[in-house]
Formats: sequence, C-alpha cells, structure tokens
Amino acid sequence: MKIKKIIIGVLIFGIVGVFVAYKMYNKPHIIVSETTADISISANKIVADFSADETAANSKYLEKIIEVKGVISETKIEKGKGIITLKTNDDFGSVLCHLSAESTKQMEALKEGQIITLKGICTGYLMDVILVKAEISSQ
Amino acid sequence: MKLITTIFCCFLFVAISSSQERYLTKNGAINFFSKTALEDITADNNQVLSIVDATNGKMAISILMKSFLFKKALMQEHFNENYVESDKYPKATFTGTILNFDAINEMASIAKIKGILTIHGVPKEIMIDANMLKTKEAILVDGEFMINLADFEVEIPAVVAKNIAKNIKVSFNFNHTPYKK
Repeated sequence: MKIKKIIIGVLIFGIVGVFVAYKMYNKPHIIVSETTADISISANKIVADFSADETAANSKYLEKIIEVKGVISETKIEKGKGIITLKTNDDFGSVLCHLSAESTKQMEALKEGQIITLKGICTGYLMDVILVKAEISSQ
Repeated sequence: MKLITTIFCCFLFVAISSSQERYLTKNGAINFFSKTALEDITADNNQVLSIVDATNGKMAISILMKSFLFKKALMQEHFNENYVESDKYPKATFTGTILNFDAINEMASIAKIKGILTIHGVPKEIMIDANMLKTKEAILVDGEFMINLADFEVEIPAVVAKNIAKNIKVSFNFNHTPYKK
C-alpha cells in the first residue's frame, strides 16, 4: 500500500515536471503591441544617448520596449518587411525601425516628413539605433 | 590661371570619385543553423551593417547579437544570456579584405574573403568563399561557411549538448549600395 502511494506521488511529480518543462520550452515571445513601453523617448534623444556613451546606453535600452517619436526620413520594404528610418539632428545616426509583418501593411499610408510614434525592441547601435518587431503606435 | 583650373578640376574629380567608393548596407542578412538529430535551431538577423570600400576591397561588418531572432523565446534567451553573453559582448565583427577585388565584375563569380571574425570577444582569422557581383549600383555578396563554437569559447552546458551542433552553419547575404549621405 505504502509503495503504491509513493509510486503515484512520483508519477504526479513527474507529470507536473514534464508539463512545466514543456511550458517553459514553449515560452512565447513578448508581443510588442500588447505590452506597454518601458521607455518613451524622442529619436533625437536616443541617438544622442548612444553616440555619447554606447555602453551606458546599452544597459539602459537593450532588450527594452522603446516608444520612439520622430520624423520619417525614409520608408522601404526589404524581404516583405517594412523599414522606417527616423530623422535626427545627428548627421549619420538615425533610428531604424524594422516593422513586424502586421504593421508593414499599415506602412503604405505613411509619408516622408510625417511625425510618427513607433514601439519596438531595441537591439543596439551600429550606425543607427535599431528597433526590431516595431509596431506603429500613432501617426 | 590655367594651373588653378587644372588643380580645381583634379580636386573636383577626386571628390566625385571618392563619393562613389563606399558601398554599404544597413540591412544585411545573417542566418545561423544548427542541426542535430534531436533538434534544428535557426536564427535570423536582418540588421547587419556591412561596408565595402570599392577602391581596395576592404570589408567591415558589424552584427548586433541581440538582433538574432529565434522561433522560441527560450532559445533566444539562452543564446543571449548563456552562450554568447551579449550583455558583455553586444556585437560580433568582421574586418577583412575581398581578395582579387579588381577582378570582380558584373558577372557572378566566386571570390575569397579573408579577415578576422570576432564573436563572443574572441578573434579568429577566417578565409571563406563568397559569391560576388559588382555593378555601378551595387555590390552583392552572399555565401555560407561553418564556424566551430569552441573556437570562440562558446560553452554549451552538458544538458543541452545534444541539442546544439558543435559546428554551426552561417549564411549571409549583403546587398551593398553606394553610400550617399
């Protein structure tokens, strides 16, 4: 009788363990459109922060959901995904927003020179500050 | 007067030609693929910065590690936090030279690229073959090569050692266009 109880206990523990492991393995990605931004900032400010001190800016912005406001300087589609470039005061640096498949559809309506707010995950700074999985939050 | 005009023309010519010498892409693509019996793992990065100097064939590439997007969030997390430690080493870089660059033209051909690849803070000299094509409007470079994780001191814990290949296939595709500010 006692042995039976132990076996059942171990079995339940095992099943729960497998279930939890499976859930963790399949943990979903953050859905940007349904998450509130960690930081709201202007395109000018974020580029200035990165060009002033990249290491400090990395720890402040990387992997965070950033809402960035700026003026569109270019829109294009590359491999079916939209890319919006936001102008800044800096001569070289801009903010490159790589759109999600969903928001690429909304890109047609946008024009150069328009002010826009985009929300995306910041992955770092090369020549420009880069946001991926970006969504258009307001135009 | 004639001399001044000549000098001026020379400068003008140099200015025009130098504005054409750099080719660049801000959305180059790199994919890596790990194949084992248990699991195939792949990740894409479409935000690679690559610059080619058309006067001498020098090439510089910068890659943000956090721009690699995986199908599973957990894999992406492990990749960034445990394997490549992207908080400590946010970028991978490559600097090198396209050998025999002058021979490359509008016909697709294969060229060798030699240089230093730095991943996870560890530099290693590599030499790879790439498909090249050069026109006035673009320099196209694509290809694939294998990297060994141990070369870059990327440690894979024993628990998942069977899920991750020791040699990873890296494919790249860059469409450089003339850089104009």
